[in-house]
Amino acid sequence: MTAARRLGRDPALWITVLALWALLALFVLYPLARLSWIAFFDAGHLSLGPAWNVLADPNHRRAFANSLLLAALVGVGGTGLGFLFAYTAVRTGLGRGWLAALDAATLLPLVSPPFTTAIAMIFSFGPRGLITYHLLGIKGASAYGLSTTLFAEILTYFPIAYLTLRPILSGIDPNVEDMAFSLGSSRWRVFRTVTLPLAVPGFANAFLLLFAASLADFATPLILAGNSFPVLPTQAYLQITGLLDFKGGAVLSFALLVPAVAVYLLQRYWVGRGAYVTITGKVGPATAIKSVAPWARAALLAGCVALAAVVAYFYALLFYASIVMAFGANHALTWRHYHVIFTEGLKAIRDTLVVAGVGMPLGGLFGVLVGYLVTRRRFAGRRAMELVSMINYALPGTIVGIAYLVAFNDPPIVLTGTALIIVACYVFRYSPTGIRATVALLQQIDPSIEEASQGLGARTGTTFRRVTLPLIVPAFFAGLGVVFIRSMTAISATIFLVSISWTLITVRILENMTELALGPAAAFSVLVVGIVFVVMAGIGWTLRRLQAAGSLQVTSILGG
Amino acid sequence: MNPVAARSPVAIRLDSVSKRFDHRVKGEVYAVREVSLEVRPAELLTLLGPSGCGKTTTLRMIAGFQEPDAGRILIGGEDVTRLMASERNIGFVFQSYALFPHLSVFENVAYGLRVQRQGEAAIAAAVGEVLALVGLAGYERQMPHQLSGGEQQRVALARAIVIKPRVLLFDEPLSNLDARLRVLMRGEIQRLQKALGITAVYVTHDQEEAMAISDRIAVMNQGVIVQAGSAETLYRRPASEFVAQFIGRTNLLRGRVVAARPGELDVEVQGHRLRVAADGAPPAVGAAVTLVVRPESLGISRAGAGLPGTILSRTFLGEKAEYQVQVGPDTLQVTVYGAGESSMLAAGEAVTLQVPASGVWALAGSA
Repeated sequence: MTAARRLGRDPALWITVLALWALLALFVLYPLARLSWIAFFDAGHLSLGPAWNVLADPNHRRAFANSLLLAALVGVGGTGLGFLFAYTAVRTGLGRGWLAALDAATLLPLVSPPFTTAIAMIFSFGPRGLITYHLLGIKGASAYGLSTTLFAEILTYFPIAYLTLRPILSGIDPNVEDMAFSLGSSRWRVFRTVTLPLAVPGFANAFLLLFAASLADFATPLILAGNSFPVLPTQAYLQITGLLDFKGGAVLSFALLVPAVAVYLLQRYWVGRGAYVTITGKVGPATAIKSVAPWARAALLAGCVALAAVVAYFYALLFYASIVMAFGANHALTWRHYHVIFTEGLKAIRDTLVVAGVGMPLGGLFGVLVGYLVTRRRFAGRRAMELVSMINYALPGTIVGIAYLVAFNDPPIVLTGTALIIVACYVFRYSPTGIRATVALLQQIDPSIEEASQGLGARTGTTFRRVTLPLIVPAFFAGLGVVFIRSMTAISATIFLVSISWTLITVRILENMTELALGPAAAFSVLVVGIVFVVMAGIGWTLRRLQAAGSLQVTSILGG
Repeated sequence: MNPVAARSPVAIRLDSVSKRFDHRVKGEVYAVREVSLEVRPAELLTLLGPSGCGKTTTLRMIAGFQEPDAGRILIGGEDVTRLMASERNIGFVFQSYALFPHLSVFENVAYGLRVQRQGEAAIAAAVGEVLALVGLAGYERQMPHQLSGGEQQRVALARAIVIKPRVLLFDEPLSNLDARLRVLMRGEIQRLQKALGITAVYVTHDQEEAMAISDRIAVMNQGVIVQAGSAETLYRRPASEFVAQFIGRTNLLRGRVVAARPGELDVEVQGHRLRVAADGAPPAVGAAVTLVVRPESLGISRAGAGLPGTILSRTFLGEKAEYQVQVGPDTLQVTVYGAGESSMLAAGEAVTLQVPASGVWALAGSA
């Protein structure tokens, strides 16, 4: 076979492929294998009885049903809000300033730790909440349960829907709408019969992404759901940390796996695969968009402004809580909480920055390498590598965390308590964004550019170094940025992996919340958001510089 | 003298080269099927055919971007079939130009020389000379995205010839340019190729471009070469109806041989007896033939001997007028050059068409 013969000439390719497979086997496949071993085997024999007992527990069944219900509601609500934002941004002819404001309102929740909204909800609607207690005078209000969890998750995740829907809506050629107008359609009819149907794949995709995000969300329910509304990730966590029942935790995380895999497959093979309507390749002269009536435009804008105001209010609240003595009781200004986090909390900050700083270049490099190999090179197991590299990304963090915990706690490989286990978890969980960015970028790069290099006498290694690599540098930075941001903000997987030697800011925030040390929790959150913004600005600046130098565009570094 | 013309011209030979693809519906299909071809030294040969005919695949196999499943490829007598593109020393000009977007014009052109690890002074000299040759002196520091399509094309050309390749390969290089620039650039490509004395293979689906630029044309269809020859041969003596219809506009008349003499046939078409020229072995009396008649060789008049017909429509194009004429069951195209106002015919008029003995080509069979 010619492919094998070509490979034989290219030992560098073989070595790289083998090394990547070794890493994937160790940090993706092995933990999952150990997890299933614990869940479904007893003394070396397949035994589903104990697993069944765990699932038969009515509490766990309720958690399963709750998880699905919450995910479906978040999917619907978040897609709705995302569409409101995307449609307003694309179809109402807003000025630059407005668009920047919309983007900012969606960016904040995206780059914050997943539970910042939840914390702000407590400040707002808790027993001493700004709205419930101070404004409405309700005593002993409860901020816990389905409705608050749902509200917080929708607010946290609707930006995903916005980012999914916006390119689809802006990809619809306005001339297509013009055509419908010229055939005598009313505005509402055009919206209903042209715009909406063309956006359907986007809706489906956004819904599935939100469903998966909510299903996997651990921190929001841990803070807000309370005892009355148990969900699977928190149940699994309590099973392990509270009852030290590894088997039960493993089984529960597998219960979470079923809907997660179903959603992933649906998204990948049904929505993801070319279901997008490719609209007329060539976009005609930009025509004025007439599909939105003036009153509808005002209503859309009002909706967006209201939503953005809620987001801004939550973050302002968070900041305010970090600079007053005791939110809800004593509103004297103080730096006390910041003093606390930079003394007692300094270790967590330092550990987090070390983990994020080490994981960042590794994750960026891993993403670019895998992305390049699976798009541009032919080798046995190429598709399998692409699939395996996405597993930890697609799985809920709770599963990954428990899998790492059970896999690296005992020989042959003991990593518990080290920084390596946290770094590895982040690298293999968040570098797929870099893989996707690389793949997307390479698909924009005409393969004949690489052929031109070969034709001019350059061998494959030279071509990669001198042509391909400079062109995919933006993807490298995008991938690296996501690994850093997630290392700063994620918690669902790593809460199982922290130790006395290595801890994380997000874990400290959660501890503060349970100890009702709300001030330091708020201060930590503000710090994380601040660091993430600085790093994002730095990466954005680098990307713009690279693009100015003639490289290709890489879409939003948070895409997916 | 010209710095690039140093190497002696090299010929290309293809021996029964085949390339198969897995098609989702049809299974295994041949993109190129047992193609044999010789390109003479310093010749510009064009592979011409409709899209999907295998012309680009053939070119990419010569370049080494694709490996043939069977057959051999020789460049200058050396078997290069199993060599990678980087080992063949070819110059390739892509349809998309494929300039390195992150490199300046100078660095784009210098790329191949840097790969050869030439000295900085030699590189600067060679790049300067080649850029002057393609009319881009002074563009060294521009980036590709700052250039117009025609300028990008010139950079691509300069990049291909600066390494003094043994052969130059062009994959539809002009298809992204507008019509006027296309005509200009094809003239320049031809001039450069002749000045450098370099063997070249050129792929296009545009028959006019092929006729303008080529020493010889190989017409491809469905993975095989159906006819190779000069533009004039292909136009006047097409080997098949496909070639006749692909090169220029044509009328096909079905007929039957009623008499055959050396160099001449009598053919009956719709009850009329036409005398046509023929060379080679004449078909037997009674055999079915198809006459290839170019629109400009037909005469048209209001009266006189010939095929009777009715004018369906007339298109006035300045230097010429084109008529659609109904003749029996067929619609024939007739082009009249330089017709005066008085001799213009109108739709609906009854006319006769004169078929001259020369300017008609008989193909055996009428399938």
